[in-house]
Amino acid sequence: MSALLLMVQIGGRRCAIEAQDVKSVIDLGVIAPVPRAPSFIAGITALRSQALTVIDCRLAMGLSDEVWPCDSRAAVVAVEGHSYALMVDAIEDITTGLSEPGQIPGGFGAQWSRAADGMIETGIGPALLLNLPALIVGPETSISRNVHAA
Amino acid sequence: MDDLLAEFIAETREMLEATGGELVAWEADPADRARLDSVFRFVHTVKGNCGFFDFPRLAALSHAAEDALADLRAGRREASAPLVSAVLAIIDRIAEMVEAIEAGEELDSGDDAALIAALAADHAPDSSADAPEAPAPLLPEQLMMRRSDPAANLIAPRTIRLPVELLDRVMIGVSDMVLARNDLAHRLRIAGTQPTIDGPFERLTAILSDVRDAITRMRMQRIETLFGALPRLVRDLSAELGKQVLIDLEGGNVELDREMIETIRDPLTHIIRNAIDHGIETPAARLAAGKREMGLLTLSAHQSGNTIAIVVSDDGRGLDAEKIAAKAVSSGLITAAERATLSREKVLQLIFEPGFSTAEAVSNISGRGVGLDVVRQNLEKVGGSIAVSSQPGVGTLFTLQIPLTLSIIAGLTVEVAGQRLAIPQGYIEEIIEASAEALDYARMGETALVTFRGERVPCLLLADVLGLPAPEMTQGSHTLALLRLASGDLFALAIERIHSHGDLVVKPLAPAVMKCGLYAGSALLDDGQPVLLLDVTRIAAEHHLLSDTRARTAPRKAEIAGDMAQSAGRVMLFTGLDGRRAAIRLELVQRIETIPASAIDRSGARPRAVIDGVILPLTGLGDEPLVRAKLRLLRLSDGLTELLYAVRDVEDATELPASLGAAEDDPLVEGLALIGGRPVAVLDGHGLFARFGDAPRPATRPQCLLPDTEWARSILGPLVEAAGYQVADPAESDASKAVTILMEDVYEAASHVGQLPAGPIIRLRDHPDAAPDSPSIYRYDREALIKALREVRDSAPLARAAAMGAVA
Repeated sequence: MSALLLMVQIGGRRCAIEAQDVKSVIDLGVIAPVPRAPSFIAGITALRSQALTVIDCRLAMGLSDEVWPCDSRAAVVAVEGHSYALMVDAIEDITTGLSEPGQIPGGFGAQWSRAADGMIETGIGPALLLNLPALIVGPETSISRNVHAA
Repeated sequence: MDDLLAEFIAETREMLEATGGELVAWEADPADRARLDSVFRFVHTVKGNCGFFDFPRLAALSHAAEDALADLRAGRREASAPLVSAVLAIIDRIAEMVEAIEAGEELDSGDDAALIAALAADHAPDSSADAPEAPAPLLPEQLMMRRSDPAANLIAPRTIRLPVELLDRVMIGVSDMVLARNDLAHRLRIAGTQPTIDGPFERLTAILSDVRDAITRMRMQRIETLFGALPRLVRDLSAELGKQVLIDLEGGNVELDREMIETIRDPLTHIIRNAIDHGIETPAARLAAGKREMGLLTLSAHQSGNTIAIVVSDDGRGLDAEKIAAKAVSSGLITAAERATLSREKVLQLIFEPGFSTAEAVSNISGRGVGLDVVRQNLEKVGGSIAVSSQPGVGTLFTLQIPLTLSIIAGLTVEVAGQRLAIPQGYIEEIIEASAEALDYARMGETALVTFRGERVPCLLLADVLGLPAPEMTQGSHTLALLRLASGDLFALAIERIHSHGDLVVKPLAPAVMKCGLYAGSALLDDGQPVLLLDVTRIAAEHHLLSDTRARTAPRKAEIAGDMAQSAGRVMLFTGLDGRRAAIRLELVQRIETIPASAIDRSGARPRAVIDGVILPLTGLGDEPLVRAKLRLLRLSDGLTELLYAVRDVEDATELPASLGAAEDDPLVEGLALIGGRPVAVLDGHGLFARFGDAPRPATRPQCLLPDTEWARSILGPLVEAAGYQVADPAESDASKAVTILMEDVYEAASHVGQLPAGPIIRLRDHPDAAPDSPSIYRYDREALIKALREVRDSAPLARAAAMGAVA
């Protein structure tokens, strides 16, 4: 696999997003919170005349968002016709993938296994290749909590 | 090649839809040349297009139909029912084939030969008989004449087909442009006036709003596209059921959002199926009932404001209220006791309840497991509604109300706990601002109630709904939006304040956000801020405010108004500025207004206030100076004249007791009433209007002409304007409608030559000393000057002139 990858840090882990899925990287402006939404949905923001759903990737992975720094920029991706802005610790670089995504003994842990296709070797070291549709669904716990709340 | 094929399929389908109505019309009157031409055009085009592709069966079919129709056109054959049916069958087959080609399947039922033979079969006896009654073939000249018939070669407006994606991209682009413009406007405002930039910027704004309108229209489609397929549907259905039905379509030029047309297609079809299946009787039954053999089904579309009303009416047997009620009772929708209290009209609405179907046997026409409840649900999903009315033996009438568009709605932006949210304007019945006492906020278990015009209305706190910190409702004053749901239910939503209102371009939300069940979409405000649109129906349902059958049939707005008119003794209770409780008849109260104290002018003989650009007389102020920054006013109207009555607090509307106590010596009080155990002065509407009433007068200032000197312009001008005048341009204004200020020497000169201005004149002199009864005023005698200006302004002619000037 020699596709271009956008390298990001999520909860201190290095992750990769296939660059062809990334529409742009934007500076996050005003985020309007969405009351009663699962906590990993930070809110909605405007990209020109479009509305983006802002996903806090740390919370979407079931981590706390307080421990890690937060990049002022976000990666804009489109999943099933809707646009999302991904909030991460840091957007690092664009690099080339050097291997196919593969599994490692012991796995990545439940949340990471759910949201990642596997480990991939890149120009700046190994990273987890994210599966965007799985990532934006959020952690199972927060979904079930929200259903109960509603 | 694929593009070409897709184009072919799309074009054929579009023509099929458009031709559907023509076909039925042609069948009804095969001699109708214009219809024949358009059917011919269709098969001819299909045949021609087939030449590009390898569709031998399609080509053979269309060729055969074209031949038969060409014979008809040339007068070589006469149209007959079997021939028409054969042509229709071929067109149906063409439609099936096009579907199959698109799906990439092979259409197997290959008895095309039989269809083609059907055309010829009719031909054979016809030609052998050599019918003497057949009309002589048209001569070429006659053909030419027919051709030039305007109806026959009506040319359709030029159109091109575009991918929706491209359309969306253009729309997004224009929305972006509007945002960029708004941003620029904001920066320009900060930078101050710059004539060289402001001009072109204004032009840009105008052009942009034009383009935006045009883009919006691109999403619209004439409802004709939906109506076009209906005649065929009606024909097939009535043939199947052995009934005769004539369909009458009206208002096909009404435009609707393309997506909305798709949304109402199924509900409308369902209602039409129902009407033909259950509503319209068999020809025999109709004759027995003294009606025409042929039933009439009328569809009409009308646009009013932001909604479209589609009315489907038939002249069939009507709905049987007794049967509906019995069914509703037996299926547990209502109890027998409730039945007794329901009016006929309300019983009829029960047919939209889930789990209701009157047809004893499920027929294959309307009984497809999809009831009218689904029709209503689908319409409500897009903010529409449906109602039915019916006369036994006369017919049934369905009224569908649907919003013009899905994507642009009028919305009110509200703020709660620092967050902005939008509410679709259509739901909003009224916005009220009242103190906790006036609202009579009460918690009943987990539900809260407020009192609105004497009715207890359930109240939700938007902050609670959203899980945000909620304000204390038992004290202070609150802003409430009264929302009327499509079902007729009313509830109050407590918000913090109104932010703005305007058209919102609604965008869909990501599934995870939709799952909250509170939002219907998102929109961007003018400042580029995203805002969530509340799903009002869903919120009401979540809080069990969407009533069941009982309250669903609650009186509607018009009925409430009717009830109020009957009990003529309703009054509005309020506390005057003097602290006295008083009441005024509700019919007189047009509105409750809140205005800043600066809009009040107490300089004249009578106080006035400016509201919505008109000057109205104001009373109820008393003699005390105004201390409040804002003033609440009752806007009273007797139909012709209006006046404002200042109040401290509006309490409630209530019933007036039958007998009034004797009035005090106040001429403006009709009598004393005992309301809630306390005396209340009921104001005498007649007396009020006789004394203070005044037709609304445009807030145009009277004009004043100044002497043409630098002193007058820079020193006198501001004083004149402060006194409520507009300094007029002598070149443009009529002196007879303005007050003219002249210096004494100019006045004397003018009066010598007899050229004094026609209107009132104020004379100024240069020296302070003058004879005591001098008609002139010293030019720095501020008091006297203001007094003179005011007197002139309050004198009738000038005021009338100002009013007329504004009307003109």
